[in-house]
Amino acid sequence: MLALQLLVTGLVTGCALGVVAISFSLVYATTKIFHVAHAGIYTLGGYLAWSLMTYRVPLALAFLLPVAACAVLGALMQSQLYARLERRRATHLVVLIASLGTLAVIQNIIAAVYTPNILQFPLNWSSRMVAFGPVRLNWTQLLTVAVSVAAYAGTMWFAHRTILGKRIRAVASNPMLADITRLQPQTVYVYVIAIASALVCLPGILVPLDLGLQPYNGVTPLLTATIAMIAGGVGSITGAFVLSVAIAVLQNLSLLVMPGEWSIGVTFFIFVIFMLFRPTGLFAAAR
Amino acid sequence: MRRICTGMAALAAGLVLHCAQVGAETIRFGGILPLTGPGALIGTAEMRGVQFAVDQANARGGVHGNPVEVQFEDNQAKPDQSILSFNKLTDLQHVAVIFTGYSGPTLAMAPLATRKKVLLVNAGAQADGLAKASPYLINTLPTIGGEIEVISRWAVGEGKKKAGVLFENGAAGMAGRDDYLKSFAEAGGTIVAQEASQFGQTDFRPALLKIADAKPDVMLVVITAGLLQMAQEYKQLDLKFTVAGTTFFADPSTIADPSSTGFVHTQLRIDAPPDLAAQFKAKYDTDMEFFAKQYYNAAQIVLATLDKVLADKKPVTGETMHDALFEIRRFQGLIPLEFKTNTASVPMDINEMRDGKDVLLKEIKLQ
Repeated sequence: MLALQLLVTGLVTGCALGVVAISFSLVYATTKIFHVAHAGIYTLGGYLAWSLMTYRVPLALAFLLPVAACAVLGALMQSQLYARLERRRATHLVVLIASLGTLAVIQNIIAAVYTPNILQFPLNWSSRMVAFGPVRLNWTQLLTVAVSVAAYAGTMWFAHRTILGKRIRAVASNPMLADITRLQPQTVYVYVIAIASALVCLPGILVPLDLGLQPYNGVTPLLTATIAMIAGGVGSITGAFVLSVAIAVLQNLSLLVMPGEWSIGVTFFIFVIFMLFRPTGLFAAAR
Repeated sequence: MRRICTGMAALAAGLVLHCAQVGAETIRFGGILPLTGPGALIGTAEMRGVQFAVDQANARGGVHGNPVEVQFEDNQAKPDQSILSFNKLTDLQHVAVIFTGYSGPTLAMAPLATRKKVLLVNAGAQADGLAKASPYLINTLPTIGGEIEVISRWAVGEGKKKAGVLFENGAAGMAGRDDYLKSFAEAGGTIVAQEASQFGQTDFRPALLKIADAKPDVMLVVITAGLLQMAQEYKQLDLKFTVAGTTFFADPSTIADPSSTGFVHTQLRIDAPPDLAAQFKAKYDTDMEFFAKQYYNAAQIVLATLDKVLADKKPVTGETMHDALFEIRRFQGLIPLEFKTNTASVPMDINEMRDGKDVLLKEIKLQ
């Protein structure tokens, strides 16, 4: 019974992480920017939704408006920050530092406006439980799985079946050639970060809906998602999603055989060993 | 002659002005507390407690006419950040006293306090190591070991002889875990599981599930943040064992939440007179909760010590403040305290959270 509940809890956590990973993967594979400020957008989405729900804005709008706001913020970051830095031939390190700075600014603004305390969403239904035999989940966890799987499927469809998706993949594959063939990489980068920001806002709302909001809680999911992205194969949406789920499940199931304080270390040690044998990642060829 | 008189008058006026300035010299203390991050709820309450006491003293004209000021630094409950703040306050501001909280940061600063002879005043952290960490560290509340001994004896006395321990993977949490392992066994019980959580973590489900799998009668908790989330997840998972802890359970939002009904904890006794609590609420628009009271009390101790140092016409240094504090020894703030060692002893209760309230179960007196 314990194993089953841990497995299911791991799947739920992994699905949310998976969306963070595929959104980060989209950005990194296309722009080659290590977009750490993505963690800030993840956090901001939750706080915007919390504000709207506190002011009793209809639930659908309280979910959709933050998604739109995050998309706009992401587009602004690319057009006003990263694009300017690229025009000035900034190195990757400078761009990374700019991104880190942006993350710090977002986190501190959130802490100043909302206080650093753990905030909870004013929703009664979110913590109601549903029992599936011995496994108990709340509505937020169920919603997280449904939305995350839908986000993964939607991203796959978008990347492979739409003109913009194909254009993004072309730019990711060879930016110089894309520039010559007038695919306008800089415009594509704006679209990519906007789409990724909208995507990461989904777990940014759903996870705190279950576990509470904190201004600094975006970094750990991003770190785990980054590892999943690398282990899954940079640029592989499926790889990022599957490896996120695998990491979360492994972390949870490891509790069966070891104390909790070891689970993160041991899980990542396994991935280090894995990377030694397959450094390009599990799904590197299946983009 | 007129020139001489004018000159002497100017000199006298200058001397009077100088004396007045010397008399009105601002005395600056420091505070290194978590004002952002997961510990900010408690850290902010602690800061308000100190500031409230200092504001009251200043409104009465200061201490011997000297206004008192506290410069607060945010350490986010992190030891490394605390060291930076400590050096800043001691090297640049030359403060003689620093209010501190949280075990990890306080333990990290203790050797520096010894070396630089700066009085560290802790009114919130309870790791056992704090008792002997530095002669310049005074704790205005007992270490966690005493509380754990009491709650362990209570649990075993109630027939809850199998326990799981949920602890925070930090200085306070691990010290508490070790105390539970020792005290619960000494009381006649058995620890059947122990699981760690990280500071600031809000997903306790895996740890709760693993503890539940060991089928304990009681879960002994030593975490300093995320208690409300732990309570809600405990309720959502429909767990049946009793949850017990120490004074850190005195979190108003957890007490108010229905999911915490049945949680039992030790509670160090400290009360604020109604008019004082009302003034605090009027000023900060929040109740004067446990940690605000503790730090108000600690600030009163420091102000009384400062009064003695100034009355004895000694310079305000960490060393003179330390010596004066132990010369006074007995303080009557919100609770009567005596410093036989660096750590004060106070009476405590066992409370149970019930329908949004913290209800007294049993009064305990420390020896």
